[in-house]
Amino acid sequence: MSDFKNTDPRLTTLGYRENMHLNEMMKRGASRRDVMTWLMAAGATTFASGSVFDGLAHAAAHTPKRGGKLIMAADQHGPNDTLDPALYTSAADYFRGRMFYGSLTRLTPELGYEPELAEEITSNDDATEWTFKIRKGVEFHSGKTLTADDVIFTMNRHMGKDSISKASSLVSMVDKWEKVNDYEVKAVLNSPNADLPIALGTFHFKILAEGTEDFATANGTGPYKVKEFKPGVRAVGVPFENYWGEGGYLDELEHYGIGDSTARLNAFLAGDVDAMVNLPPKAISQVEGTDGKEIWSLQAGAYVNITPRLDMKDSSNRHMWKAMQLLQDRKRLLKGVLKGQGTLGNDQPINAAYFDHCPDIPQRELDPEKAKFHWEKSGLGNTPVPVVAAEVAPGAVEQCLFMQREGKKIGANFEVKKVTTDGYWGAVWLKEPICVASWNMRPTANIMMTLAFKGDADWNETRWNNDKFNQLLVDVRGETDADKRKAKYCDLQTMIHEENGMSLPVHRNYVDAAASHVKGRTEVPLNNFGGAESPVTLWRADT
Amino acid sequence: MRGLILRRIGIGLITVLAVSIIIFFGTKILPGDAAQIRLGQQATPENVAAFRERLGLDKPYWVQYLTWLGNFLRGDLGISLASDVPITNLIADRYKNTVIVSCLTALIGVPISLMLGIMAAMFPGSLYDRILTFISVTLVAAPEFFTATLLVLLFVFALDIGNAVVVGSTEGKGFFELISHFALPIATLSFVIASQLIRMSRAAVLNVMSSPYIEMAILKGVPRGRIIFRHALLNAIGPIVNVVALNLAYLVTGVIVVEVYFAYPGLATLIVQGVQSRDFVLIQGLGMIFCLTYVILMLIADIAAYASNPRLRHPK
Repeated sequence: MSDFKNTDPRLTTLGYRENMHLNEMMKRGASRRDVMTWLMAAGATTFASGSVFDGLAHAAAHTPKRGGKLIMAADQHGPNDTLDPALYTSAADYFRGRMFYGSLTRLTPELGYEPELAEEITSNDDATEWTFKIRKGVEFHSGKTLTADDVIFTMNRHMGKDSISKASSLVSMVDKWEKVNDYEVKAVLNSPNADLPIALGTFHFKILAEGTEDFATANGTGPYKVKEFKPGVRAVGVPFENYWGEGGYLDELEHYGIGDSTARLNAFLAGDVDAMVNLPPKAISQVEGTDGKEIWSLQAGAYVNITPRLDMKDSSNRHMWKAMQLLQDRKRLLKGVLKGQGTLGNDQPINAAYFDHCPDIPQRELDPEKAKFHWEKSGLGNTPVPVVAAEVAPGAVEQCLFMQREGKKIGANFEVKKVTTDGYWGAVWLKEPICVASWNMRPTANIMMTLAFKGDADWNETRWNNDKFNQLLVDVRGETDADKRKAKYCDLQTMIHEENGMSLPVHRNYVDAAASHVKGRTEVPLNNFGGAESPVTLWRADT
Repeated sequence: MRGLILRRIGIGLITVLAVSIIIFFGTKILPGDAAQIRLGQQATPENVAAFRERLGLDKPYWVQYLTWLGNFLRGDLGISLASDVPITNLIADRYKNTVIVSCLTALIGVPISLMLGIMAAMFPGSLYDRILTFISVTLVAAPEFFTATLLVLLFVFALDIGNAVVVGSTEGKGFFELISHFALPIATLSFVIASQLIRMSRAAVLNVMSSPYIEMAILKGVPRGRIIFRHALLNAIGPIVNVVALNLAYLVTGVIVVEVYFAYPGLATLIVQGVQSRDFVLIQGLGMIFCLTYVILMLIADIAAYASNPRLRHPK
């Protein structure tokens, strides 16, 4: 057994034990020099130790105050709001889940993990066996003490073909969960997966008490317990007095759904709610110009794209999609439509928000001349090329319109058909020869690429099937050498960039807004409200 | 009289039955199978088949319809497809919310509008009448979201009073806090119903005022106020009650825009959410509740009209 890879830079330089020691030092009031000396002795480089100190000092300068109430406004909500973590589908579910439940690991802003209900996480050398030591003295809201049985019960709900879990694919490589003793469980995998603890830190793997079947209320280990839960309306949490960790600072945390974006913005600007998700790009400057209101934006890997089906006659023309990629006016889209709240896309899904991002692939830019070359080669002339689009996310329709306009200049004739978002995912997506899509970020590059780019994936949008890619994608899961891992991920991203066929012009940030008295915001780039990780740490500054 | 009422109830029942057929088969035509939707995309064909059997979807349509109608009559609206809880649980709270707002609007909006309308009828052609007519015609033309936006801009952002959305539960809030939450939605709704009520009550009273017996009363020298309240209004009640009932039914069923705009958790937002999550069972149940509300309110209006007007009871 060896301490295994951990993608949080702070934790890779330091083991968990050293990290705890460091936190202790900070609490005792160590100076920068003390910390540096200790770190240098532990073998860290100057640069790394400097950044560690800044992070900790920043946290210490903002000691949370207890008390007060916050109302956080969600968008999508409805009768399918649930307290069953396996069935979560929306950002509202994820946020609510964090209020009431805990998980084995907790994700960090760099998309590594840190221990939560598991206090020690180890694996064998090829990452096919993972052991989780369960924290002692953790209590559920019902008063029951957390043991290995609860963890095994929870994990088994995500296993097997009949599982109702929306996230079973993230743990499909786990053969079984074994109880070692009351405070230790082991996951036995059928293929290596170095990212398992990260997957277990995501929204669906919240730990339940053994035998839980009724989800009218939540019996979790989270910092808040349910005071009120009404699907499609609101969830209200009050502090759980026996919460094992730090957090849960508010007297009351309310999560309220406001579906209409104008109503949500009104409520936020009027101060009826303290924070809102998904600020419309148009309103960014308005919020920035208002005293006491701030943008809460996270650079993320979410994106919009245009996908030609490579297995259909009308859309398989290689020169056609090469030209489409070169016709994307990425900078203009980012500035004009997303108001700068995003990053340039490079026709592959892994951007700098991911740990395994490859920065070496040259940025593809708007290049009408090269596009013209490809368009002439394609032999399409001015044959109309239909592109089906819907407002599935900011920029989804605009990316097509911009491409259409640039296309006109070189003689290409794109016909943009705009359809409604209602039913889009069932009737259009994956069916039309060329259409648009919108994707959320996933916790790791491997999960993202397995979901949407592996040859046999259900959501493989272009039906691109490259044996070398498929093989490498599975291989890299067991790669424990950092340099080799990086090289392999670069190869994977380059292959998509060159061969997959989709145009991916921009990645969009998660753009929320919060009043300036909303403190303890987290920055995990997986979802709104700081990756839905903020409920634990939120506190109110003006009480 | 009793025969008339019974006949009217009979017509109401037939309406409900006809609507139930339309609702049931209408939702059957919509694409997507309830079992498939409930189980999601990863479900195996065997799972779907088993679930269809459990929901009774493998039986012929008319058997399904009769079972559904029978359950509805017993107060069982079925289980939500989206969340697996009984529809009645989802609706109960929302129905209460909607009724609260509707009643408050009716209590405030209806008497004021009727007063204004009748006063306009007392002085037809006066400056007051003209201004009122102008305002009410303008209000008829202004959609709810426009009125709502204006009110929010004026009160919340310019004057800094009131709330832009209805947040939080009603429990544990003081009287003034409740007023600040509910004032704007109720004002918006009152404006919407007021314009119609003012114009209809004015027209109904004026219509009666032009009849010969009123002319007689005028010639006899009866004061104008007494003519209107004593002689004209009773005859005008029939049409006015009908308009009031129509508006009340609108308040329960048609306030989608206002509820969405003010993020108010009532029935209308629930049906919007139901459509978004393809929850057919929920939509069917809500459809029937809306239909019942309409039919019952119309029934009450008609009975009131019969009671106030003997001529309706004894048609020539």
